[in-house]
Amino acid sequence: MSAREEILRAVRAARVATFGNAAPALPSLPTVGEWPGGADGAQATRSALVDRFMVSAQGAAARVVRTTRAGVAQLAASVADSLRVDGDGARDPVVLSMVDAVHGNMAVPDDPHELATLDLFVCEGEIGVAESSAIWLPTSRLGQRAALLLATEVIVVLESAAIVADLHAAYAAVDVGRESFGLFLAGPSKTADIEQSLVIGAHGAKGLTVALIDG
Amino acid sequence: MTASSTASRTLPILDAHGAVDHAAGAERFTADVDRTTWHDGALWFVREKRDRGAASVPEWERLRDLASAIKSHTLSRLDEYLERFERRATARGIQVHWARDGAEHNEIVLGILAARGARRLVKSKSMLTEECGLNAHLERHGIEVVDTDLGERIVQLRNEPPSHIVMPAIHLKKEEIGATFHEKLGTPAGLADPDALTAAARRHLRERFLGADAAMTGVNFAIAETGGVVVITNEGNADLGTALAPVYIASMGIEKLIPRAADLGVFLRLLARSATGQASSVYASHVHGPRPGQAMHVVLVDNGRSTQLGRGDFWGSLKCIRCAACLNTCPVYRRSGGYSYGSTIPGPIGSVLTPGLDVRKYAALPFASTLCGSCSAVCPVKVDLDQQLYRWRQLVMAAGGAPPLKRWWLRAMGGVLADPALLQLAGRVARGMLRVLPPRLARRLAGGWGTGRALPEPPRGSFRDWVRANRPGRS
Repeated sequence: MSAREEILRAVRAARVATFGNAAPALPSLPTVGEWPGGADGAQATRSALVDRFMVSAQGAAARVVRTTRAGVAQLAASVADSLRVDGDGARDPVVLSMVDAVHGNMAVPDDPHELATLDLFVCEGEIGVAESSAIWLPTSRLGQRAALLLATEVIVVLESAAIVADLHAAYAAVDVGRESFGLFLAGPSKTADIEQSLVIGAHGAKGLTVALIDG
Repeated sequence: MTASSTASRTLPILDAHGAVDHAAGAERFTADVDRTTWHDGALWFVREKRDRGAASVPEWERLRDLASAIKSHTLSRLDEYLERFERRATARGIQVHWARDGAEHNEIVLGILAARGARRLVKSKSMLTEECGLNAHLERHGIEVVDTDLGERIVQLRNEPPSHIVMPAIHLKKEEIGATFHEKLGTPAGLADPDALTAAARRHLRERFLGADAAMTGVNFAIAETGGVVVITNEGNADLGTALAPVYIASMGIEKLIPRAADLGVFLRLLARSATGQASSVYASHVHGPRPGQAMHVVLVDNGRSTQLGRGDFWGSLKCIRCAACLNTCPVYRRSGGYSYGSTIPGPIGSVLTPGLDVRKYAALPFASTLCGSCSAVCPVKVDLDQQLYRWRQLVMAAGGAPPLKRWWLRAMGGVLADPALLQLAGRVARGMLRVLPPRLARRLAGGWGTGRALPEPPRGSFRDWVRANRPGRS
């Protein structure tokens, strides 16, 4: 008998022994509006959601800048400038952008290893979650997802109208299986594996800026 | 720190019959009083962060109920969900493998790597691969395995196992980590700053990521409805590995399934807050297929899980989502350290999972608890850990798993407690002895309770005497 058959047979026998035929039902999940939370819940006003998102982002060590579509280019330029290397080995920052407003000096490569020297990556999020500042980024908005990890700084553009209250609302709004990859991103890479000391910039980006567009 | 002294500190202490002696392992740990206090405090700090995270969600208890119910349902139909997951994942171009045990898992992984000629593997944290002993197996076959989670890389460089399932190096001080990095990564001697050490690890591991032939991750959740897997990290190591390497292997225990993508809303809200107090982990990646040009494999591993599912008293332990909240809150784990348990997963959840693999070898683990129930109170999926620990104790005792003296003593105690006259007599004798015996001898007679404790001033009479004197008519 194959491992597959043997495991499935063992699992079937075990669950029948434990549960018989009276399996506990799969609970239906509350609809988005049913969750409590008052001002933080689904009935919250746009400004309450944005306020909550900003507080959450601070907790996740992300920077939020409220700006306009036109302002994103300026924001990207100033972040890129902070990454400029002068003196010995001086070079311009390497910028890869997936948004129209920002012009990078690198195209999405076929081989993600070419992103090893990336300084700044700019992309646009689909949904923002107020309670955690997590942002849904499907692979079509990332190009090569390695860019998100290899870049020193990341800017995620997000329409404030795309902010929802919590993860339940977010999962209701996105189809996670639509593309081969997608992630919720909340803040820059971090670790506390050495004596519980929080260190920003473990393997991925050392800084995350959310460009919040009020449209 | 030399390799041999590291090994002596991390290997489980076994008794004459080859069973783990948790009490002896705990004694080894607590011999260093300062480190014990520090370890206790570090974990309590995380427990407090968890409390603040939980308190920030008004519907926390409702989430726990839902999470528990979703897991119970899934386990009650696990074969069907496994088949559904396999069908959907296969349709997405993911190759699904099945492994009955750790050895079969390791052979499958080696086979995938060998077929691609892969020699350099980067691996994000996976307690399952620890459980299977994968690293040693691959290294014997010439594969370089680099654990990329910072904590896990630290213990790997020291040739130690993780001592905690979320914070693998929680038992180490920054000076010890600095010494390891100095020896293995060439950082300056005496460097002990967490920022600088993390930066050094980042540089070192960046090279490994860019040079890897294959990447491996564990799996936090597998979605039956969509055929995808969810992998969660704060560091980004799982994503960096899988975003670069041409081969991606995800290994998962068969209990990691959930029915629907929407269920993640419940589990993700609970997981990060329970583990570290964060509202969200940094990277929660949903992988539904390989990148263009990449090969993606998922290995489904049983290794005792179907047996545990068939145990009426213990199947609930399979609901665990490995947040480690029960470790952080456990007064025994906090003061005995992960290595005292001698099992891949320490703490309360390890003490109900591991005896299922070998009840004789791990007979001591259900006793490594005060049965205070704090573990059950914090568990985000409502595993009744204290009940299961108690139940394992009964099974261990019934199987003759306690030393003869302890068995005799418990039987005698039971007899005394069941007989009011005998209990009163025993009380009188004990009070008398406490008064006349030298404290040293009295402590010795008190057995384990006398160790490290001062015995109380003996009261003049029993509580019964006091009631009779002070509350006439109520005795």
